[in-house]
Amino acid sequence: MNPWFQGVVARAEAKSDSLSPLRQGAVHSLKETTWPGRRTEHWKYTSLSVLENLELVHTPSNQELTVAAIENVQTIDLLFVDGKLRTDLTALQLPAGLTISLLDKADGLQYVIATSFFSQIKPKRHLFGLVNDALANDILFISVASKSIIKPLIRIISHHSAGHEAHQRVLVRVQQAASVKIIEQIEGQGQHLSTNFTEFEVSEHANLEHYRLIQPSAEALHFGGNHFCLHQHAVLNSTLLGFGSVLSRTDIDILHNGEHANAKLNAISVLGDSAHFDLHSNVEHIKAHGKTTEQVRVIVGDKANAVFNGRIHIHPKAQKTQAALHNRNLLLSRRGQVNTKPELEIYADDVQCAHGATVAEIEEDALNYLQTRGIARDQALVMLNVGFIQELINQLPDPHLAQWLNQGLLPRLKEIAIT
Amino acid sequence: MLTIKNLHARVEQIQILNGLDLIINPGEVHAIMGPNGAGKSTLGYVLSGREGYDVTEGEVHFKDENLLALDIEQRARHGLFLAFQYPVEIPGVSNMEFLKESVNAMRLHRRQEPLSASDFLKAAKTACQQVQLPLDFLKRGVNEGFSGGEKKRNEIMQMILLEPSLCILDESDSGLDVDALQVVANGVNSQRNATRSFVIITHYQRLLDYIQPDFVHILANGKIVKSGTAALAQQIEKEGYAFLNTATSLEIKA
Repeated sequence: MNPWFQGVVARAEAKSDSLSPLRQGAVHSLKETTWPGRRTEHWKYTSLSVLENLELVHTPSNQELTVAAIENVQTIDLLFVDGKLRTDLTALQLPAGLTISLLDKADGLQYVIATSFFSQIKPKRHLFGLVNDALANDILFISVASKSIIKPLIRIISHHSAGHEAHQRVLVRVQQAASVKIIEQIEGQGQHLSTNFTEFEVSEHANLEHYRLIQPSAEALHFGGNHFCLHQHAVLNSTLLGFGSVLSRTDIDILHNGEHANAKLNAISVLGDSAHFDLHSNVEHIKAHGKTTEQVRVIVGDKANAVFNGRIHIHPKAQKTQAALHNRNLLLSRRGQVNTKPELEIYADDVQCAHGATVAEIEEDALNYLQTRGIARDQALVMLNVGFIQELINQLPDPHLAQWLNQGLLPRLKEIAIT
Repeated sequence: MLTIKNLHARVEQIQILNGLDLIINPGEVHAIMGPNGAGKSTLGYVLSGREGYDVTEGEVHFKDENLLALDIEQRARHGLFLAFQYPVEIPGVSNMEFLKESVNAMRLHRRQEPLSASDFLKAAKTACQQVQLPLDFLKRGVNEGFSGGEKKRNEIMQMILLEPSLCILDESDSGLDVDALQVVANGVNSQRNATRSFVIITHYQRLLDYIQPDFVHILANGKIVKSGTAALAQQIEKEGYAFLNTATSLEIKA
């Protein structure tokens, strides 16, 4: 058994707080868990051996942090440092229909509602999700009342300090015909370990615009998850952007729990040096007339390593489903690695589905074309890399946010192209 | 402007150019015609510096520089422009962004200040109008989803913006209807002046009805086998390249 994991189980068993009853199932499962190795299907290309000798602090640091604004985007900022919420929720001026609370401080009804779906949307199979169930402290609960259209972007910044281990959990409930935009920014310094899991319930006719930015330090050990439950006519538009690190794994689950739900998932990953980025996505169509469009684009430079496993599972009753999953990888270096596996499992006979994965190098013809117009080879490479990603960035619903994301992306793309 | 002496080149070990000679002076328009597989497009690619097109013998001087020693982008910045027969599509890179980088790379080389965003936009719009491309083409990915004719017009638009001194047009007329042909020809004619030269690679006399060449050359088996005035193009249009066969067979016998 891995010593870090032994420590986790011991801490989980010893933990006693008002949420303990909710955590019991997870603690029990953790005790029963076999530590995954290379032969474990879902950890085949991501080694956990780096977790063996970790000495991390389990209490949050006191470091002071300020949050830089996003130009031209109105936000409601929620800052977490090492899993502890720093923002004073009572001081926030929230628009009507929006409630934000910590689970252990939520009032009676909110508490009942939140606890009713804690760990219900996130499947039990995610080992680090169970760790998060057992150890997360400040569990944030965001609720949008029915028919409320929340204009400002809810921005959850999770900062992780060097030498720390932290577990952070967010629950989001978007009620009937409501609409909300949420961005999760996961950042950090030096070596640290974090689990960041968020569960979203998107009710009938509700609309969720979601972003997750995973940009921790190069030494970070990150495990994350976004788990969505979509009810009838719910609309999800989610964009994931990851830069990888020593160990970075994200699991996404989308459940079509009502008919006519529409999910769009775009993921972008830009990996340089020896960054590792593992994305597993699983979409379950259990009801008819659902639609899923998933596009994953990855640029792999230097000695980086990209892992993608995307599954779409169409159950017998999910007739008239339309699902498309495309993974494209641009491999810039002979030493880089891509392991990709799109999976389509179809048990209904009247569906439209497509899936595919490609791994390609920079197109010499395109490079040549740009050069014949006077553009230097290095610059042309950057332009082609940017172009590869930009097709997805251009699909973002908010152009200001796209511009802000580009400010973070472009320098990364330049660094990668030149190495 | 351009002096080519005894140029030999091969592509993937296949010899395509076999001792080609050509001299182009400033302001001249040269048409290069010839049967399929003669090496016309190869000439354009070799001059532009495309990878995989290896010069095995001969010299090329462009404005007193050894052209063959320059990188692809350096050749372009020195004023060599190749309008591609099949321009590539580059999704994600907008035409606008691409053209701006390109124009400013040229300006930097000429020691000019980069164009401001608004000056560039003005120049790009004018060039677009000149080749009758709608302005929203500037926002689209480079050649992405353009029709054959639109791609050709986009090439001419780039030529107008980049102000090269030697323009090589590789079958810029192929696949064009009469109206589009006229647009391309007008674009070229508007750029003719005493210092700018053109090499027009074509299969048909048709384009030369609109762009009057000073010289017409016939390229066959990797070399220029006959040169003349515009009348030569008309002769080929009537008689085809049959006369070459006799010439070539004589050559082989000799």
